Amino acid sequence: MAENQNFARDYNLPELLVAAAARELRDGDVVFVGVGVPLLGALVAKLTHAPNLIMAMESGSVGPMPYRIVLGIGDNACVENAICTTSLWRLFADQQRGYFDVGMVGGAQVDKYGNLNSTAIFGSGDYYHPASRLPGSGGANDIASSARRTVITIPLEKRRFLERVDYITSPGYLNGYDSRKKAGLPGGGPVAIITNKCIFRFDPETREAYLDSVHPGVSVEEVRANVSWDLKVAPEVKVTPPPTEEQLRIIRIIDRAGIYTNNGLKNLTFESYIQLLEGSLEELQQLF
Amino acid sequence: MEFVNTRKKTDKRMTLKEAIATFVKDGDTIAFGGMGGIQCVAHAYEIIRQGKRNLTLIGDSPCEAGDLLVGAGVLKRMEIAWCSYAVAGLAHNFRRAVEQGIPHPIEVEDYSNFTIGLRFLAGAMNVPFLPTKSLLGSDLPKYNARIKTMDDPYTGETVALVPAARPDVAIVHVSRSDKRGNAQMFGFSSNAENLVRAAKKVIITCEEIVSTDEVRRHPNLTIAPEYTVDAVAEVPFACHPWNMPYYYAYDIPFHIQQLTAFRTREGFERWMDEWCFGVDSWEGYLAKVGWDRLERLRRVERRFTHISC
Repeated sequence: MAENQNFARDYNLPELLVAAAARELRDGDVVFVGVGVPLLGALVAKLTHAPNLIMAMESGSVGPMPYRIVLGIGDNACVENAICTTSLWRLFADQQRGYFDVGMVGGAQVDKYGNLNSTAIFGSGDYYHPASRLPGSGGANDIASSARRTVITIPLEKRRFLERVDYITSPGYLNGYDSRKKAGLPGGGPVAIITNKCIFRFDPETREAYLDSVHPGVSVEEVRANVSWDLKVAPEVKVTPPPTEEQLRIIRIIDRAGIYTNNGLKNLTFESYIQLLEGSLEELQQLF
Repeated sequence: MEFVNTRKKTDKRMTLKEAIATFVKDGDTIAFGGMGGIQCVAHAYEIIRQGKRNLTLIGDSPCEAGDLLVGAGVLKRMEIAWCSYAVAGLAHNFRRAVEQGIPHPIEVEDYSNFTIGLRFLAGAMNVPFLPTKSLLGSDLPKYNARIKTMDDPYTGETVALVPAARPDVAIVHVSRSDKRGNAQMFGFSSNAENLVRAAKKVIITCEEIVSTDEVRRHPNLTIAPEYTVDAVAEVPFACHPWNMPYYYAYDIPFHIQQLTAFRTREGFERWMDEWCFGVDSWEGYLAKVGWDRLERLRRVERRFTHISC
Protein backbone atom coordinates (compact mmCIF):
# COMPACT_ATOMS: atom_id res chain seq x y z
CA MET A 1 0.00 0.00 0.00
CA ALA A 2 1.66 3.15 -1.21
CA GLU A 3 -0.92 5.77 -0.44
CA ASN A 4 0.18 9.36 -0.54
CA GLN A 5 -0.65 10.59 2.97
CA ASN A 6 -0.40 14.30 2.21
CA PHE A 7 -3.78 15.57 3.30
CA ALA A 8 -5.59 17.97 1.01
CA ARG A 9 -6.52 21.37 2.36
CA ASP A 10 -8.96 22.60 -0.25
CA TYR A 11 -11.78 20.04 -0.42
CA ASN A 12 -15.55 20.00 0.07
CA LEU A 13 -17.75 17.81 2.28
CA PRO A 14 -18.81 15.26 -0.39
CA GLU A 15 -15.14 14.77 -1.23
CA LEU A 16 -14.38 14.06 2.42
CA LEU A 17 -17.22 11.51 2.45
CA VAL A 18 -15.91 9.77 -0.65
CA ALA A 19 -12.50 9.49 1.02
CA ALA A 20 -14.14 8.15 4.20
CA ALA A 21 -16.01 5.52 2.17
CA ALA A 22 -12.78 4.59 0.36
CA ARG A 23 -11.03 4.11 3.70
CA GLU A 24 -13.58 1.48 4.75
CA LEU A 25 -12.46 -0.74 1.87
CA ARG A 26 -9.47 -3.08 1.78
CA ASP A 27 -7.43 -4.46 -1.05
CA GLY A 28 -9.03 -7.61 -2.42
CA ASP A 29 -12.50 -6.75 -1.14
CA VAL A 30 -15.48 -7.68 -3.27
CA VAL A 31 -17.79 -4.71 -2.79
CA PHE A 32 -21.49 -4.51 -3.51
CA VAL A 33 -21.84 -0.83 -4.40
CA GLY A 34 -24.70 1.60 -4.67
CA VAL A 35 -24.58 4.72 -6.79
CA GLY A 36 -23.15 8.04 -5.64
CA VAL A 37 -20.68 8.59 -2.83
CA PRO A 38 -20.20 4.84 -2.04
CA LEU A 39 -19.41 4.01 -5.64
CA LEU A 40 -17.01 6.92 -5.96
CA GLY A 41 -15.40 5.72 -2.74
CA ALA A 42 -14.96 2.23 -4.19
CA LEU A 43 -13.39 3.60 -7.37
CA VAL A 44 -11.05 5.86 -5.42
CA ALA A 45 -10.02 2.91 -3.24
CA LYS A 46 -9.37 0.80 -6.32
CA LEU A 47 -7.21 3.49 -7.88
CA THR A 48 -5.21 4.07 -4.68
CA HIS A 49 -4.74 1.52 -1.90
CA ALA A 50 -6.98 -1.32 -3.13
CA PRO A 51 -6.05 -2.21 -6.74
CA ASN A 52 -7.55 -5.70 -6.43
CA LEU A 53 -10.92 -4.48 -5.22
CA ILE A 54 -13.85 -5.80 -7.26
CA MET A 55 -17.05 -3.79 -7.59
CA ALA A 56 -20.33 -5.62 -8.07
CA MET A 57 -23.57 -3.96 -9.17
CA GLU A 58 -26.97 -5.53 -8.69
CA SER A 59 -27.93 -5.34 -12.36
CA GLY A 60 -25.50 -8.27 -12.73
CA SER A 61 -22.18 -6.53 -13.44
CA VAL A 62 -18.93 -7.58 -11.79
CA GLY A 63 -15.60 -5.77 -11.80
CA PRO A 64 -16.18 -2.90 -14.22
CA MET A 65 -13.48 -0.25 -14.75
CA PRO A 66 -15.46 2.48 -16.43
CA TYR A 67 -13.96 5.49 -18.16
CA ARG A 68 -16.91 7.64 -17.05
CA ILE A 69 -19.05 8.49 -14.05
CA VAL A 70 -21.53 5.74 -13.20
CA LEU A 71 -25.11 7.08 -13.42
CA GLY A 72 -26.92 4.07 -12.02
CA ILE A 73 -26.40 0.45 -11.01
CA GLY A 74 -27.59 -0.55 -14.48
CA ASP A 75 -25.75 2.15 -16.38
CA ASN A 76 -23.66 1.15 -19.37
CA ALA A 77 -20.62 2.14 -17.32
CA CYS A 78 -21.32 -0.99 -15.23
CA VAL A 79 -20.44 -3.30 -18.14
CA GLU A 80 -17.41 -1.29 -19.25
CA ASN A 81 -14.25 -3.37 -18.90
CA ALA A 82 -16.17 -5.71 -16.59
CA ILE A 83 -14.84 -9.16 -15.72
CA CYS A 84 -18.31 -10.70 -15.69
CA THR A 85 -21.83 -9.73 -16.65
CA THR A 86 -24.56 -12.01 -15.42
CA SER A 87 -28.06 -11.85 -14.00
CA LEU A 88 -29.46 -10.11 -10.95
CA TRP A 89 -30.45 -13.26 -9.07
CA ARG A 90 -27.07 -14.86 -9.78
CA LEU A 91 -25.22 -11.89 -8.35
CA PHE A 92 -27.35 -11.87 -5.22
CA ALA A 93 -26.93 -15.63 -4.94
CA ASP A 94 -23.15 -15.08 -4.98
CA GLN A 95 -23.65 -12.65 -2.13
CA GLN A 96 -25.82 -15.07 -0.13
CA ARG A 97 -23.13 -17.68 -0.75
CA GLY A 98 -20.71 -15.39 1.11
CA TYR A 99 -18.42 -14.08 -1.63
CA PHE A 100 -19.03 -10.40 -0.95
CA ASP A 101 -16.91 -8.73 1.70
CA VAL A 102 -18.63 -5.36 1.87
CA GLY A 103 -22.02 -3.95 1.00
CA MET A 104 -22.85 -0.27 0.92
CA VAL A 105 -26.38 0.71 1.86
CA GLY A 106 -28.41 3.81 2.64
CA GLY A 107 -31.89 4.74 3.77
CA ALA A 108 -34.10 7.54 5.00
CA GLN A 109 -34.00 6.50 8.67
CA VAL A 110 -31.49 4.61 10.79
CA ASP A 111 -31.68 3.53 14.43
CA LYS A 112 -29.10 2.92 17.11
CA TYR A 113 -28.65 -0.70 16.06
CA GLY A 114 -28.04 0.24 12.44
CA ASN A 115 -31.43 -0.91 11.16
CA LEU A 116 -32.42 1.04 8.05
CA ASN A 117 -35.74 2.17 6.64
CA SER A 118 -36.09 2.91 2.93
CA THR A 119 -39.70 1.76 2.59
CA ALA A 120 -42.07 4.25 4.24
CA ILE A 121 -42.12 7.11 6.74
CA PHE A 122 -45.28 6.41 8.72
CA GLY A 123 -45.84 9.91 10.19
CA SER A 124 -49.30 9.85 11.75
CA GLY A 125 -50.25 6.92 9.52
CA ASP A 126 -48.86 3.41 9.10
CA TYR A 127 -47.27 1.19 6.45
CA TYR A 128 -50.52 1.12 4.48
CA HIS A 129 -51.14 4.86 4.83
CA PRO A 130 -47.68 6.41 5.12
CA ALA A 131 -46.90 10.10 5.27
CA SER A 132 -44.16 9.40 2.79
CA ARG A 133 -43.74 6.35 0.58
CA LEU A 134 -40.07 5.72 -0.22
CA PRO A 135 -38.72 3.60 -3.10
CA GLY A 136 -38.49 0.33 -1.10
CA SER A 137 -35.74 -2.18 -0.42
CA GLY A 138 -34.32 -2.62 -3.87
CA GLY A 139 -31.29 -4.76 -3.09
CA ALA A 140 -30.64 -3.15 0.29
CA ASN A 141 -32.32 -5.85 2.40
CA ASP A 142 -30.32 -8.54 0.62
CA ILE A 143 -27.04 -6.67 1.01
CA ALA A 144 -27.69 -5.93 4.69
CA SER A 145 -28.65 -9.60 5.24
CA SER A 146 -25.70 -11.30 3.53
CA ALA A 147 -22.66 -9.04 3.03
CA ARG A 148 -19.83 -9.85 5.47
CA ARG A 149 -19.86 -6.24 6.61
CA THR A 150 -21.92 -3.25 5.57
CA VAL A 151 -21.17 0.45 5.46
CA ILE A 152 -24.13 2.78 5.86
CA THR A 153 -24.24 6.28 4.39
CA ILE A 154 -27.00 8.67 5.53
CA PRO A 155 -27.19 12.40 6.37
CA LEU A 156 -27.13 13.23 10.10
CA GLU A 157 -30.54 14.67 11.05
CA LYS A 158 -32.63 14.20 14.17
CA ARG A 159 -35.66 13.00 12.16
CA ARG A 160 -33.49 10.33 10.52
CA PHE A 161 -31.51 9.09 13.56
CA LEU A 162 -34.15 7.39 15.65
CA GLU A 163 -34.40 5.12 18.69
CA ARG A 164 -36.39 2.81 16.39
CA VAL A 165 -37.04 3.12 12.65
CA ASP A 166 -40.67 3.03 11.46
CA TYR A 167 -39.98 -0.02 9.31
CA ILE A 168 -36.90 -2.23 9.12
CA THR A 169 -36.15 -2.55 5.42
CA SER A 170 -32.51 -3.54 5.89
CA PRO A 171 -31.49 -5.31 9.08
CA GLY A 172 -28.64 -3.96 11.17
CA TYR A 173 -28.24 -5.52 14.61
CA LEU A 174 -32.06 -5.66 15.14
CA ASN A 175 -32.42 -5.34 18.94
CA GLY A 176 -28.69 -5.42 19.67
CA TYR A 177 -26.49 -8.06 21.30
CA ASP A 178 -26.85 -11.39 19.43
CA SER A 179 -30.34 -10.76 18.06
CA ARG A 180 -29.04 -10.48 14.50
CA LYS A 181 -27.38 -13.87 14.66
CA LYS A 182 -30.43 -15.43 16.31
CA ALA A 183 -32.60 -14.22 13.42
CA GLY A 184 -30.49 -16.40 11.13
CA LEU A 185 -28.87 -13.64 9.11
CA PRO A 186 -25.64 -14.84 7.48
CA GLY A 187 -23.85 -11.47 7.05
CA GLY A 188 -21.90 -9.68 9.75
CA GLY A 189 -23.91 -6.47 9.94
CA PRO A 190 -22.91 -2.80 9.80
CA VAL A 191 -19.41 -1.63 10.74
CA ALA A 192 -19.85 2.11 10.19
CA ILE A 193 -22.40 4.85 9.57
CA ILE A 194 -20.84 7.61 7.51
CA THR A 195 -22.74 10.91 7.79
CA ASN A 196 -22.18 14.48 6.66
CA LYS A 197 -20.98 15.37 10.20
CA CYS A 198 -19.34 12.30 11.66
CA ILE A 199 -18.76 8.56 11.60
CA PHE A 200 -20.42 6.09 13.99
CA ARG A 201 -19.18 2.60 14.75
CA PHE A 202 -20.76 -0.25 16.71
CA ASP A 203 -20.03 -1.60 20.17
CA PRO A 204 -18.83 -5.21 19.73
CA GLU A 205 -21.02 -6.45 22.60
CA THR A 206 -24.20 -4.36 22.72
CA ARG A 207 -24.04 -3.62 18.98
CA GLU A 208 -25.20 -0.08 19.67
CA ALA A 209 -23.84 2.72 17.48
CA TYR A 210 -21.42 5.15 19.14
CA LEU A 211 -19.72 8.28 17.90
CA ASP A 212 -16.22 7.41 16.70
CA SER A 213 -15.06 10.47 14.77
CA VAL A 214 -16.29 13.95 13.90
CA HIS A 215 -15.47 15.66 10.62
CA PRO A 216 -13.17 18.69 10.87
CA GLY A 217 -15.03 21.63 12.46
CA VAL A 218 -17.90 19.55 13.90
CA SER A 219 -18.44 19.31 17.67
CA VAL A 220 -19.66 16.32 19.67
CA GLU A 221 -22.57 18.47 20.95
CA GLU A 222 -23.66 19.18 17.39
CA VAL A 223 -23.78 15.44 16.71
CA ARG A 224 -25.68 14.71 19.94
CA ALA A 225 -28.25 17.38 19.04
CA ASN A 226 -28.96 15.57 15.77
CA VAL A 227 -29.49 12.10 17.24
CA SER A 228 -32.83 11.09 18.84
CA TRP A 229 -31.41 8.65 21.40
CA ASP A 230 -28.97 9.06 24.28
CA LEU A 231 -25.84 8.75 22.18
CA LYS A 232 -22.77 6.92 23.43
CA VAL A 233 -19.46 8.50 22.54
CA ALA A 234 -15.98 6.95 22.21
CA PRO A 235 -13.64 7.80 25.12
CA GLU A 236 -11.49 9.73 22.67
CA VAL A 237 -13.46 10.98 19.71
CA LYS A 238 -11.23 11.23 16.65
CA VAL A 239 -11.30 13.77 13.87
CA THR A 240 -12.17 12.21 10.50
CA PRO A 241 -9.11 12.56 8.26
CA PRO A 242 -9.61 14.73 5.18
CA PRO A 243 -8.99 13.27 1.73
CA THR A 244 -5.37 12.94 0.68
CA GLU A 245 -4.08 14.97 -2.28
CA GLU A 246 -4.05 11.78 -4.32
CA GLN A 247 -7.62 10.81 -3.40
CA LEU A 248 -8.83 14.30 -4.20
CA ARG A 249 -7.10 14.30 -7.57
CA ILE A 250 -8.82 11.05 -8.50
CA ILE A 251 -12.24 12.15 -7.21
CA ARG A 252 -12.06 15.23 -9.39
CA ILE A 253 -11.08 13.27 -12.46
CA ILE A 254 -13.83 10.66 -12.03
CA ASP A 255 -16.54 13.15 -11.07
CA ARG A 256 -15.25 15.93 -13.26
CA ALA A 257 -18.71 17.53 -13.60
CA GLY A 258 -19.34 17.33 -9.83
CA ILE A 259 -22.50 15.25 -10.28
CA TYR A 260 -22.00 13.55 -6.90
CA THR A 261 -19.53 15.93 -5.30
CA ASN A 262 -20.70 19.37 -6.30
CA ASN A 263 -23.61 20.79 -8.29
CA GLY A 264 -25.43 17.58 -8.97
CA LEU A 265 -27.40 17.35 -12.17
CA LYS A 266 -28.52 20.98 -12.37
CA ASN A 267 -27.03 22.84 -15.32
CA LEU A 268 -26.52 19.61 -17.25
CA THR A 269 -27.55 20.17 -20.87
CA PHE A 270 -27.43 17.57 -23.63
CA GLU A 271 -24.37 19.25 -25.12
CA SER A 272 -22.51 19.50 -21.82
CA TYR A 273 -23.42 15.89 -21.05
CA ILE A 274 -21.96 14.56 -24.30
CA GLN A 275 -18.86 16.67 -23.70
CA LEU A 276 -18.64 15.29 -20.17
CA LEU A 277 -18.64 11.72 -21.49
CA GLU A 278 -16.09 12.41 -24.21
CA GLY A 279 -13.77 14.38 -21.93
CA SER A 280 -14.03 11.75 -19.22
CA LEU A 281 -13.03 9.01 -21.66
CA GLU A 282 -9.85 10.80 -22.66
CA GLU A 283 -8.84 11.73 -19.13
CA LEU A 284 -9.57 8.37 -17.51
CA GLN A 285 -7.89 6.38 -20.25
CA GLN A 286 -4.69 8.07 -19.16
CA LEU A 287 -5.30 7.08 -15.54
CA PHE A 288 -5.54 3.30 -15.99
CA MET B 1 -61.00 -20.72 -34.16
CA GLU B 2 -58.00 -22.97 -34.64
CA PHE B 3 -55.63 -23.01 -31.70
CA VAL B 4 -52.18 -21.76 -32.63
CA ASN B 5 -49.28 -22.45 -30.30
CA THR B 6 -47.42 -19.20 -30.79
CA ARG B 7 -44.26 -20.62 -29.22
CA LYS B 8 -43.99 -23.12 -32.10
CA LYS B 9 -44.13 -20.52 -34.87
CA THR B 10 -40.99 -20.18 -36.95
CA ASP B 11 -41.49 -16.49 -37.64
CA LYS B 12 -42.79 -14.60 -34.61
CA ARG B 13 -42.17 -11.10 -35.85
CA MET B 14 -44.84 -8.47 -35.31
CA THR B 15 -44.91 -4.82 -34.33
CA LEU B 16 -44.79 -3.83 -30.68
CA LYS B 17 -48.33 -2.52 -31.07
CA GLU B 18 -49.55 -5.88 -32.36
CA ALA B 19 -47.67 -7.79 -29.67
CA ILE B 20 -49.19 -5.75 -26.83
CA ALA B 21 -52.66 -5.91 -28.41
CA THR B 22 -52.39 -9.68 -28.89
CA PHE B 23 -50.88 -10.77 -25.59
CA VAL B 24 -51.66 -8.22 -22.86
CA LYS B 25 -55.25 -8.50 -21.57
CA ASP B 26 -57.01 -6.37 -18.98
CA GLY B 27 -56.49 -7.89 -15.54
CA ASP B 28 -53.25 -9.66 -16.50
CA THR B 29 -50.16 -9.96 -14.36
CA ILE B 30 -47.14 -8.60 -16.22
CA ALA B 31 -43.38 -8.42 -15.72
CA PHE B 32 -40.68 -6.44 -17.50
CA GLY B 33 -37.00 -7.09 -18.06
CA GLY B 34 -34.36 -4.46 -17.34
CA MET B 35 -32.65 -3.25 -14.21
CA GLY B 36 -31.39 0.30 -13.99
CA GLY B 37 -30.70 0.26 -17.72
CA ILE B 38 -32.48 -1.79 -20.38
CA GLN B 39 -35.80 -0.49 -19.05
CA CYS B 40 -38.91 -1.32 -21.05
CA VAL B 41 -40.02 2.22 -21.86
CA ALA B 42 -41.50 1.83 -25.37
CA HIS B 43 -43.55 -1.08 -24.02
CA ALA B 44 -44.96 0.88 -21.07
CA TYR B 45 -46.01 3.75 -23.36
CA GLU B 46 -47.71 1.31 -25.74
CA ILE B 47 -49.62 -0.42 -22.93
CA ILE B 48 -50.85 2.97 -21.76
CA ARG B 49 -51.75 4.08 -25.28
CA GLN B 50 -53.86 0.96 -25.73
CA GLY B 51 -55.77 1.72 -22.53
CA LYS B 52 -55.06 -1.55 -20.72
CA ARG B 53 -56.58 -1.75 -17.23
CA ASN B 54 -56.32 -3.53 -13.87
CA LEU B 55 -52.89 -4.99 -14.44
CA THR B 56 -50.68 -6.42 -11.70
CA LEU B 57 -46.98 -5.68 -12.06
CA ILE B 58 -44.35 -8.03 -10.62
CA GLY B 59 -40.82 -6.67 -10.80
CA ASP B 60 -37.54 -6.15 -8.96
CA SER B 61 -36.93 -2.47 -9.59
CA PRO B 62 -39.21 -1.30 -12.39
CA CYS B 63 -38.42 2.38 -12.72
CA GLU B 64 -40.06 3.65 -15.87
CA ALA B 65 -42.61 0.87 -16.36
CA GLY B 66 -43.64 1.01 -12.71
CA ASP B 67 -44.05 4.73 -12.31
CA LEU B 68 -45.58 5.42 -15.74
CA LEU B 69 -48.14 2.62 -15.44
CA VAL B 70 -49.14 3.73 -11.94
CA GLY B 71 -49.51 7.32 -13.06
CA ALA B 72 -51.58 6.31 -16.07
CA GLY B 73 -53.96 4.34 -13.85
CA VAL B 74 -53.13 1.02 -15.52
CA LEU B 75 -52.09 -0.88 -12.38
CA LYS B 76 -54.21 -2.17 -9.55
CA ARG B 77 -51.37 -3.94 -7.77
CA MET B 78 -47.57 -4.02 -7.58
CA GLU B 79 -45.36 -6.76 -6.18
CA ILE B 80 -42.01 -5.04 -6.24
CA ALA B 81 -38.77 -4.29 -4.44
CA TRP B 82 -38.31 -0.69 -5.52
CA CYS B 83 -39.94 2.08 -7.52
CA SER B 84 -37.89 5.18 -8.23
CA TYR B 85 -35.71 6.62 -10.98
CA ALA B 86 -32.41 6.28 -9.09
CA VAL B 87 -30.02 9.14 -9.81
CA ALA B 88 -32.51 11.12 -11.90
CA GLY B 89 -35.17 11.39 -9.20
CA LEU B 90 -38.09 9.94 -7.26
CA ALA B 91 -41.11 8.10 -8.60
CA HIS B 92 -43.71 10.81 -8.06
CA ASN B 93 -46.60 8.85 -9.54
CA PHE B 94 -45.90 5.86 -7.29
CA ARG B 95 -45.76 8.15 -4.26
CA ARG B 96 -48.97 9.98 -5.19
CA ALA B 97 -50.78 6.65 -5.64
CA VAL B 98 -49.69 5.22 -2.26
CA GLU B 99 -49.86 8.44 -0.26
CA GLN B 100 -52.96 10.07 -1.78
CA GLY B 101 -54.69 7.46 -3.94
CA ILE B 102 -54.01 9.46 -7.13
CA PRO B 103 -55.11 8.57 -9.79
CA HIS B 104 -56.48 5.64 -7.74
CA PRO B 105 -55.26 3.56 -4.80
CA ILE B 106 -52.99 0.60 -5.54
CA GLU B 107 -52.05 -2.48 -3.56
CA VAL B 108 -48.32 -2.82 -2.92
CA GLU B 109 -46.56 -5.97 -1.76
CA ASP B 110 -42.93 -5.32 -0.80
CA TYR B 111 -40.05 -7.68 -1.56
CA SER B 112 -36.32 -7.20 -2.12
CA ASN B 113 -34.53 -7.41 -5.46
CA PHE B 114 -33.05 -10.84 -4.76
CA THR B 115 -36.32 -12.31 -3.54
CA ILE B 116 -38.23 -11.02 -6.57
CA GLY B 117 -35.46 -12.71 -8.58
CA LEU B 118 -36.05 -15.92 -6.62
CA ARG B 119 -39.79 -15.68 -7.28
CA PHE B 120 -39.10 -15.65 -11.03
CA LEU B 121 -36.53 -18.43 -10.63
CA ALA B 122 -39.11 -20.55 -8.79
CA GLY B 123 -41.62 -19.86 -11.56
CA ALA B 124 -39.01 -20.77 -14.16
CA MET B 125 -38.19 -24.01 -12.29
CA ASN B 126 -41.86 -24.87 -11.88
CA VAL B 127 -41.53 -25.20 -8.10
CA PRO B 128 -43.94 -23.47 -5.68
CA PHE B 129 -41.42 -21.42 -3.67
CA LEU B 130 -37.76 -20.92 -2.86
CA PRO B 131 -36.01 -20.40 0.47
CA THR B 132 -33.62 -17.54 1.19
CA LYS B 133 -31.50 -16.00 3.92
CA SER B 134 -32.73 -12.52 2.95
CA LEU B 135 -35.76 -10.89 4.64
CA LEU B 136 -35.07 -12.52 8.05
CA GLY B 137 -35.37 -10.14 11.00
CA SER B 138 -36.69 -7.32 8.83
CA ASP B 139 -40.23 -5.92 8.68
CA LEU B 140 -40.90 -7.18 5.15
CA PRO B 141 -42.49 -10.45 6.39
CA LYS B 142 -44.48 -8.50 8.98
CA TYR B 143 -46.40 -6.62 6.28
CA ASN B 144 -46.32 -9.25 3.54
CA ALA B 145 -48.20 -12.40 4.56
CA ARG B 146 -46.87 -14.35 1.57
CA ILE B 147 -43.33 -14.23 2.94
CA LYS B 148 -43.16 -17.19 5.32
CA THR B 149 -40.38 -18.31 7.60
CA MET B 150 -39.72 -21.91 8.55
CA ASP B 151 -37.02 -24.12 9.99
CA ASP B 152 -34.98 -25.93 7.39
CA PRO B 153 -36.11 -29.57 7.80
CA TYR B 154 -32.50 -30.75 7.32
CA THR B 155 -30.50 -28.44 9.61
CA GLY B 156 -33.11 -26.59 11.66
CA GLU B 157 -31.82 -23.19 10.55
CA THR B 158 -34.38 -20.47 9.90
CA VAL B 159 -35.11 -19.58 6.29
CA ALA B 160 -37.60 -17.25 4.62
CA LEU B 161 -39.78 -18.50 1.77
CA VAL B 162 -41.06 -16.55 -1.21
CA PRO B 163 -43.77 -17.80 -3.58
CA ALA B 164 -43.15 -18.53 -7.27
CA ALA B 165 -44.16 -15.77 -9.67
CA ARG B 166 -46.01 -16.82 -12.79
CA PRO B 167 -46.88 -13.71 -14.76
CA ASP B 168 -49.37 -13.92 -17.62
CA VAL B 169 -47.02 -11.93 -19.82
CA ALA B 170 -43.30 -11.19 -19.66
CA ILE B 171 -41.97 -8.32 -21.76
CA VAL B 172 -38.22 -8.32 -22.25
CA HIS B 173 -35.98 -6.10 -24.30
CA VAL B 174 -32.73 -7.69 -25.53
CA SER B 175 -29.78 -6.76 -27.70
CA ARG B 176 -30.76 -8.95 -30.62
CA SER B 177 -32.97 -11.85 -31.62
CA ASP B 178 -33.75 -13.91 -34.67
CA LYS B 179 -37.31 -14.11 -36.00
CA ARG B 180 -37.90 -17.37 -34.13
CA GLY B 181 -37.22 -15.65 -30.79
CA ASN B 182 -33.73 -16.82 -29.94
CA ALA B 183 -32.98 -13.78 -27.82
CA GLN B 184 -29.41 -12.74 -27.08
CA MET B 185 -28.08 -10.29 -24.57
CA PHE B 186 -24.76 -8.52 -24.39
CA GLY B 187 -24.01 -7.37 -20.88
CA PHE B 188 -26.08 -7.98 -17.77
CA SER B 189 -29.48 -9.58 -18.09
CA SER B 190 -31.16 -8.73 -14.75
CA ASN B 191 -33.84 -11.44 -14.28
CA ALA B 192 -34.73 -11.75 -17.96
CA GLU B 193 -33.83 -15.41 -18.45
CA ASN B 194 -36.02 -16.45 -15.56
CA LEU B 195 -38.98 -14.19 -16.15
CA VAL B 196 -39.39 -15.43 -19.71
CA ARG B 197 -39.48 -19.00 -18.37
CA ALA B 198 -41.83 -18.10 -15.53
CA ALA B 199 -44.39 -16.37 -17.76
CA LYS B 200 -47.25 -17.88 -19.74
CA LYS B 201 -46.69 -15.57 -22.75
CA VAL B 202 -43.45 -13.85 -23.71
CA ILE B 203 -42.88 -10.77 -25.85
CA ILE B 204 -39.27 -10.22 -26.87
CA THR B 205 -38.26 -6.88 -28.30
CA CYS B 206 -34.77 -6.24 -29.59
CA GLU B 207 -32.49 -3.53 -30.85
CA GLU B 208 -31.91 -5.59 -33.99
CA ILE B 209 -33.22 -8.70 -35.68
CA VAL B 210 -30.38 -10.98 -36.77
CA SER B 211 -30.24 -14.26 -38.64
CA THR B 212 -30.37 -17.61 -36.87
CA ASP B 213 -26.87 -18.26 -38.26
CA GLU B 214 -25.65 -15.20 -36.37
CA VAL B 215 -27.28 -16.50 -33.17
CA ARG B 216 -25.58 -19.87 -33.66
CA ARG B 217 -22.17 -18.19 -33.84
CA HIS B 218 -22.43 -17.18 -30.13
CA PRO B 219 -24.97 -19.50 -28.51
CA ASN B 220 -23.82 -18.62 -24.99
CA LEU B 221 -25.35 -15.15 -25.44
CA THR B 222 -28.86 -16.59 -25.76
CA ILE B 223 -30.91 -15.84 -22.65
CA ALA B 224 -34.20 -17.10 -24.10
CA PRO B 225 -34.31 -19.96 -26.61
CA GLU B 226 -37.15 -19.89 -29.13
CA TYR B 227 -39.31 -22.40 -27.27
CA THR B 228 -39.89 -19.81 -24.52
CA VAL B 229 -40.97 -16.98 -26.81
CA ASP B 230 -44.32 -16.00 -28.39
CA ALA B 231 -43.58 -12.75 -30.20
CA VAL B 232 -40.57 -10.81 -31.47
CA ALA B 233 -40.57 -7.11 -32.29
CA GLU B 234 -37.65 -5.05 -33.50
CA VAL B 235 -37.78 -1.83 -31.49
CA PRO B 236 -34.57 0.22 -31.66
CA PHE B 237 -34.06 2.74 -28.84
CA ALA B 238 -36.84 1.01 -26.88
CA CYS B 239 -35.26 2.06 -23.58
CA HIS B 240 -34.91 5.79 -24.23
CA PRO B 241 -34.16 7.82 -22.13
CA TRP B 242 -32.55 4.87 -20.34
CA ASN B 243 -29.35 3.26 -21.55
CA MET B 244 -28.82 0.07 -23.51
CA PRO B 245 -25.34 -1.41 -23.01
CA TYR B 246 -23.34 -1.53 -26.26
CA TYR B 247 -26.05 0.43 -28.11
CA TYR B 248 -26.74 3.89 -26.65
CA ALA B 249 -25.89 5.99 -23.62
CA TYR B 250 -28.30 7.12 -20.90
CA ASP B 251 -30.05 10.37 -21.93
CA ILE B 252 -30.07 11.76 -18.43
CA PRO B 253 -30.69 15.40 -19.46
CA PHE B 254 -33.96 14.25 -21.07
CA HIS B 255 -34.84 12.23 -17.98
CA ILE B 256 -34.36 15.21 -15.71
CA GLN B 257 -36.77 17.25 -17.85
CA GLN B 258 -39.30 14.42 -17.75
CA LEU B 259 -39.06 13.94 -13.99
CA THR B 260 -39.32 17.66 -13.37
CA ALA B 261 -42.66 17.50 -15.21
CA PHE B 262 -43.73 14.45 -13.16
CA ARG B 263 -43.46 16.37 -9.88
CA THR B 264 -47.08 17.49 -10.26
CA ARG B 265 -50.04 15.47 -11.47
CA GLU B 266 -50.78 18.17 -14.06
CA GLY B 267 -47.20 18.02 -15.31
CA PHE B 268 -47.43 14.25 -15.68
CA GLU B 269 -50.73 14.50 -17.57
CA ARG B 270 -49.32 17.13 -19.91
CA TRP B 271 -46.27 14.95 -20.52
CA MET B 272 -48.40 11.93 -21.38
CA ASP B 273 -50.62 13.99 -23.66
CA GLU B 274 -47.55 15.06 -25.55
CA TRP B 275 -45.24 12.03 -25.50
CA CYS B 276 -47.70 9.11 -25.25
CA PHE B 277 -51.08 10.13 -26.68
CA GLY B 278 -49.68 12.85 -28.97
CA VAL B 279 -47.95 10.21 -31.10
CA ASP B 280 -49.34 6.93 -32.38
CA SER B 281 -46.34 4.68 -31.88
CA TRP B 282 -42.82 4.45 -30.44
CA GLU B 283 -41.47 5.57 -33.81
CA GLY B 284 -43.48 8.77 -33.33
CA TYR B 285 -41.91 9.25 -29.88
CA LEU B 286 -38.41 8.72 -31.28
CA ALA B 287 -39.01 11.14 -34.15
CA LYS B 288 -40.12 13.68 -31.55
CA VAL B 289 -36.95 13.11 -29.47
CA GLY B 290 -35.03 13.62 -32.71
CA TRP B 291 -32.92 11.15 -34.67
CA ASP B 292 -29.89 13.44 -34.40
CA ARG B 293 -29.99 13.25 -30.64
CA LEU B 294 -30.48 9.48 -30.67
CA GLU B 295 -27.64 9.04 -33.13
CA ARG B 296 -25.33 11.03 -30.86
CA LEU B 297 -26.26 8.81 -27.89
CA ARG B 298 -25.41 5.81 -30.04
CA ARG B 299 -22.14 7.28 -31.29
CA VAL B 300 -20.90 8.31 -27.86
CA GLU B 301 -21.71 4.87 -26.44
CA ARG B 302 -19.74 3.19 -29.19
CA ARG B 303 -16.61 4.95 -27.92
CA PHE B 304 -17.00 3.28 -24.51
CA THR B 305 -18.53 -0.11 -25.28
CA HIS B 306 -18.98 -1.85 -28.59
CA ILE B 307 -19.66 -5.37 -29.72
CA SER B 308 -16.63 -6.97 -31.28
CA CYS B 309 -17.46 -10.63 -31.56
